[in-house]
Amino acid sequence: MNIYVLSLGFGLITASILAIASVGFTLQFGVTNVLNLAYGDVMTGAAFVAYLVTKAGGGLAEALVAGAGSGAVASYGLNRLVYTPFVRRGTRLFGMIIVTISVSLVVQNGLQAIFKATFFSLSLPRPSSYTFAGMIFTSQQLVIIGLAVVAMVLVHALLSWTKLGRAMRATAADPELARSCGIATDRVIDVAWLLSGALCGTAGVTLALNVSSFTSTTGGQFLIPVIAAAVLGGVGHPYGAMIGAVVIGLSSELSASVISPDYKEVVAFIILIVVLLIRPQGIFSEVATQKEVAV
Amino acid sequence: MGESKITKLRQVTSLALACGVMAGVVAMTGGVEASAAPSTLVIGNFNPFSGADASFGPEMVAGCQPAVRLINAGGGVMGHQFSCIEFDTRGDPADAVPAANKMVATNSSLEGILGPSADEALATVPILEQAQVPMFADTGQAFFDKSSYHYFWRITPADDVKGYALALWAHKKGYTRAAAIFGNDAGSQSDVPSLVKAWSKLGGKMVDNVKLALDQSSYRTEIEQMLSSKPQVIFTEIDPQTAGTFLSELQQLHGLIPIIGTEVTLQAPWLKAVTGAVGAKAMTQYFTGMQPYAPTAGTAWTTYNSALLASKAQIPQPSQWSSDPYSMTYYDAVTTMALAMLSAHSINRATYNNSIMAVTEPGKGKTLVYSFAQGKAALAKGKKIEFVGAGGLIAFNQWHNSSGAFEAAQQVAGNVKVIGEVTADQIATLSK
Repeated sequence: MNIYVLSLGFGLITASILAIASVGFTLQFGVTNVLNLAYGDVMTGAAFVAYLVTKAGGGLAEALVAGAGSGAVASYGLNRLVYTPFVRRGTRLFGMIIVTISVSLVVQNGLQAIFKATFFSLSLPRPSSYTFAGMIFTSQQLVIIGLAVVAMVLVHALLSWTKLGRAMRATAADPELARSCGIATDRVIDVAWLLSGALCGTAGVTLALNVSSFTSTTGGQFLIPVIAAAVLGGVGHPYGAMIGAVVIGLSSELSASVISPDYKEVVAFIILIVVLLIRPQGIFSEVATQKEVAV
Repeated sequence: MGESKITKLRQVTSLALACGVMAGVVAMTGGVEASAAPSTLVIGNFNPFSGADASFGPEMVAGCQPAVRLINAGGGVMGHQFSCIEFDTRGDPADAVPAANKMVATNSSLEGILGPSADEALATVPILEQAQVPMFADTGQAFFDKSSYHYFWRITPADDVKGYALALWAHKKGYTRAAAIFGNDAGSQSDVPSLVKAWSKLGGKMVDNVKLALDQSSYRTEIEQMLSSKPQVIFTEIDPQTAGTFLSELQQLHGLIPIIGTEVTLQAPWLKAVTGAVGAKAMTQYFTGMQPYAPTAGTAWTTYNSALLASKAQIPQPSQWSSDPYSMTYYDAVTTMALAMLSAHSINRATYNNSIMAVTEPGKGKTLVYSFAQGKAALAKGKKIEFVGAGGLIAFNQWHNSSGAFEAAQQVAGNVKVIGEVTADQIATLSK
């Protein structure tokens, strides 16, 4: 089998997990303007919820639903209980980043205290493998790719064709103006946290499924490529995050086969730097240019 | 600010400086003096407790705590009790260097150290040497095979020895084509040069040699590349999470092939992560780990194991460390230090460091002792002793290194089962 074709398939799986995670990350940032660095740890929390569900006899579908639900609830709760009080006190972007780092540490150490510093695997049946167009996928990986496609279509449909989606885009573009136009921006922000949390939770479960063995730090380690995909596409822009995820996922796997596995992360980040040198605002520009983030 | 306040500030500053200098002097001249009132002497557990090699720390504590339990139960050393304190190096020299400086500067009762590991040894051994703290390192780096550090001791085998053991076992099994899959961390990579050299000496061909970036979400491309070179066996040392991902993907893509790992791959966290990822049946069928020969029988091991199992309050699930050769050697290291202090009649670090070989090396007329209590009793009677630890005989060479045979082990029904041995002679012959 051709190693490049195989790598393309492997890149698609990585890109799918990245896409789910980075679209959630960027959607939430676009609407709320909070760069949530605890995102990876909420992913881990969802993976642990999925672990408990599968341990209790649940299947993949139940694990995904539970993971998405717990991610949504955790993100909504974090915003309401922690982030919103700081925002109301006028904490600016840099201060909020520190707050989210603190939350990240608390969540990560909390999970470690509860589950201990050891390794966990979802208790699911061993998947069967399929060959398609020279690429190899397991049944679970096909579910991951399918989930990513469905999630992207739903996000597109939400943003393009629904009143809520338009309200989210208006809030992302200019919250003051949106409020003056009668949009209940607080409710829109709540929905954005719930939605991004659900995507975050789904990404956490798919990541746990993909790596086979995870700990309380697994989601946090995955945050860097998630942010890279979001930044590459243009922070705050869901379509950009989708493109960014595909570029990073495919380039890392293809570079591993073309150059050396030692450099697969390096190549992905060189592409990120090159793109940002040419387009500092990322591939999609309009939201990113209005945000405070200095990339 | 008034003049009196300035004077007072100067006085306070001077006092603080004087205290700092005194603390430094105490640290630099060997810590607590023998004449000091009985205090709790600290054994620093200087290893990663977080980060990729976080599994090292608990393994160390599992050796330190039982030893301290027995020393304290036996009346301590010259009235002093012992305690184990954890110092997290995070497995990174950037964190380990300040941690070492802080440990030395702020712990005047620091009597000895377990560690450092390969992750931070090159950066921190000189610091500990300068502070004159005896250290029982668990680094395997060949750099320390013939080093002149006076306070450096190593009971665990050097990495180049591990490489020889892996190659010898694969050769014994009849394999000729192998792939080396090691993590890109310093600890794992230090095994590779001797493995490659030994495998070639035995007539084997290393068809692929991969440095894996740790904790990635996928290694499928690396797996395809490795399999394209058609290895019959995989040599490995990678952290548990990476191993879980790599081996489960190998299993999903093309099925597992025989795997021979270092002793790291026989540790409880590694076994848990990989068994969860590939299944217990596959582990038994394909996996063999090579670890320093440490029989789970005999007086010394029974004493260690009883103390270990009694240390539930300090060690979660203590039985998981019962057959762990590294935990045994940490236990032996603490016991050796305590016996050396008794032999030297001093808890001064520089003084008792010179007595370490006196309580371990064989000699005519020496009394063999298998525990702290036996050693203390024999020394009290004026006898010379040779301490035989839970991990077996301790025979330091002139560079303070002691290593022996290796055993091959598999995980069967949740337990590690020894299936064969590579002798010290075979290793010595190959390493010539």
